[in-house]
Amino acid sequence: MKFSVMKGRNLWWSISAATFLGSILAMVISFTQFNAPLLPSIDFVGGTKLQLTLNCGVAGNCENPIQTGVVQEIITSLGLGNSKIQVIDDYTLSVRTQNLDVEQRTQLQGALNEKVGQFGPETIQIDSVGPTIGQELFTSGVLALIVSFFGIIVYLSFRFQFDYAIFAILALFHDVFITAGVFAVLGLVGGVEVDSLFLVALLTIIGFSVNDTVVIYDRIRENITQQPDKPIQTIVDDGVNQSLTRSINTTLTTLLPLVAIFLFGGQTLKYFALALIIGFILGAYSSLFLASTLLSWWRELQEN
Amino acid sequence: MEKQRSLIALILVLVVAAIFILVKVPLQLGLDLKGGAQLTIQIKPTEEVTSINPDDLNAVKRVLENRIDSLGVAEPIVQTVGGEKILVQLPGVTDPQQAERVLGGTAQLEFRKQIQGSEEQFPIEYQILQRTQAELQLQRQIPGEDNPDKITELKESLAKANTAVADLFTSVGLVGENLKNARPQPLQSGNGWQVAIEFDNAGGRKFAELTKNLAGTGRSIGIFLDDTLISAPTVGPEFADTGITGGSAVITGNFTIETASDLAVQIRGGALPFPVEVVENRTVGATLGQDSIKRSIYAAIAGLVLVLIFMGVYYRLPGLIADLALAIYTILTLACYSLVGVTLTLPGIAGFILSIGMAVDANVLIFERTREELRGGKTLYRSVESGFYRAFSSILDSNVTTLIACGALFWLGSGLVKGFALTLAIGVLVSMFTALTCSRTVMLLTVLGIPKVRQKPELFCPNLPVA
Repeated sequence: MKFSVMKGRNLWWSISAATFLGSILAMVISFTQFNAPLLPSIDFVGGTKLQLTLNCGVAGNCENPIQTGVVQEIITSLGLGNSKIQVIDDYTLSVRTQNLDVEQRTQLQGALNEKVGQFGPETIQIDSVGPTIGQELFTSGVLALIVSFFGIIVYLSFRFQFDYAIFAILALFHDVFITAGVFAVLGLVGGVEVDSLFLVALLTIIGFSVNDTVVIYDRIRENITQQPDKPIQTIVDDGVNQSLTRSINTTLTTLLPLVAIFLFGGQTLKYFALALIIGFILGAYSSLFLASTLLSWWRELQEN
Repeated sequence: MEKQRSLIALILVLVVAAIFILVKVPLQLGLDLKGGAQLTIQIKPTEEVTSINPDDLNAVKRVLENRIDSLGVAEPIVQTVGGEKILVQLPGVTDPQQAERVLGGTAQLEFRKQIQGSEEQFPIEYQILQRTQAELQLQRQIPGEDNPDKITELKESLAKANTAVADLFTSVGLVGENLKNARPQPLQSGNGWQVAIEFDNAGGRKFAELTKNLAGTGRSIGIFLDDTLISAPTVGPEFADTGITGGSAVITGNFTIETASDLAVQIRGGALPFPVEVVENRTVGATLGQDSIKRSIYAAIAGLVLVLIFMGVYYRLPGLIADLALAIYTILTLACYSLVGVTLTLPGIAGFILSIGMAVDANVLIFERTREELRGGKTLYRSVESGFYRAFSSILDSNVTTLIACGALFWLGSGLVKGFALTLAIGVLVSMFTALTCSRTVMLLTVLGIPKVRQKPELFCPNLPVA
């Protein structure tokens, strides 16, 4: 059975355009609320985040779950009223606040230890980021993205043709942007923050997505050389069909470990895995349905 | 056949070498995985020196190394990052307060001389200074009462008082660099601590000169730490002839054991040529990092086992061969990480997982091609050969684009991104090697070497039309 990707191309384009617009909308709403298109973690805006877990090995330490109210009181008394407090699994406390210097942080930790209970040093997590560092991290990441986009365009133009390169980058941008859009929604609905790991996830998606697109383009290129007289629509349809099993299998095998990490893995990697899952599915979709149909559309235009 | 045999031998040798490397040089885990504190320290240019050159950077690095050594942390890593940052990694440290204080403090120690004619003014100014300090201390300790305006106000008057006091002293060039040693010492009388210091020869001479000039005048030696007067002892008239000789002295002034040892560490480490600031602190408790990672790694391994099963079930014999190739791939890649000295962090693991995905992909591409050729009616041997041959351009192009992206990320990205780019790039290179040599060699050897396999192409592709 042959599947024609070209026949439904208006449908694919509409789906992508709608999701794309939805992503923009989510980012705009997010911008009005958080002053950023996605809810940024302290990695990007600076601040201090403390995560402490009560040491339950000490007798009487874990009799009562941590009360948010008590913590709020302590924090307000230190002049850090607008901090974000979260209690995870009853005995773990997470406090996100402005960038504290070492004296202020010691004071806060001391007060918490005294009034809430003894926190274990083995389970502590401190993240303190100055405001300039976050900016630098962001700029260097974006610069690296732009340069890698450019490098990919040059290589693909050289190995394939310029229009292939442009559409590959377009598909890539589509995947990255919609993944960011989904996280904008998650930030609005569930308070999910994007941190530097999210940036790494976006980079990973780029690597995977371009890989996917190149495989399909390679097939289309081969079909063009073998059957130069065939119309481009048929060529593209053939190419997609020939690569379909491969794309599904590769995506499935890559997703298996990621889904396992998302469901059963530790807290730190949960949203990282989720970003990759979304991005990889989009990557496979955009390679099969967008990069191919756009290329064919463009070639048709040129023939006429 | 001959060629395949020697390739197999080569692969075997490589695998044995890789296992040997992994046993001898275990993989380095990042602090986010094994626990510890990572501090990024930014050097700030001063008015006189507006840009930091590599020599300055290294000077600061040396001082920081000295300070860290006096903290007694096992296996610290100090490295420069970019033009004006220094990264300090302290494995196992989960309470980085002391490290932060000691590393972040500039601790420019100087012994100055009180100027003539300020005998009356000094006690007044000094009292104002001490009173303001005490008030600020008090204000900060009151629990429940939050008064940032008051604190800001006090800070301003403190700065004013500091300048007023500092104006009454003049430099004689006796600075922290003239010190040989400094250590905390309990006070002989009652509670409290002091810092005992020892000067080098030049420092000893300057100190004798200074004390000789001041002896019996009622004027004080000003001991300034970062331009703040911390102690102002006077010198008795008995030293008027020679000054205090011998090159040692003590600094007293309201020290606890912590503040005394902090100061001693700072003095010992030497003065920093530039002001610095701890701009980033990432601390992860040992068990927290391990727990989170263990769970994620178990999950990832479970996922990979599913991948191996899938390959075997779907692609049959070639799938099993690919599984073997993937196992070899994993060993070789990890050995490369260990050889290159990659420190495995969370993003690094992400890069590794992605590269496994790409290694699987290379095999999938080849097998799909092989099946196509088989369906097209070619013999098994020819199908396998042309499967590899025709999948090659796909594999090459997709991997090269990934490598280009890695290159950009490695040169321009920050530490986190660099780690990712490096592990992915190594993974992609090794996967090209294993897919094109391991899978291919073993497959050809099976096809050529075992006649029964050749009669059963259905081991490669189900539902083949009968030829």
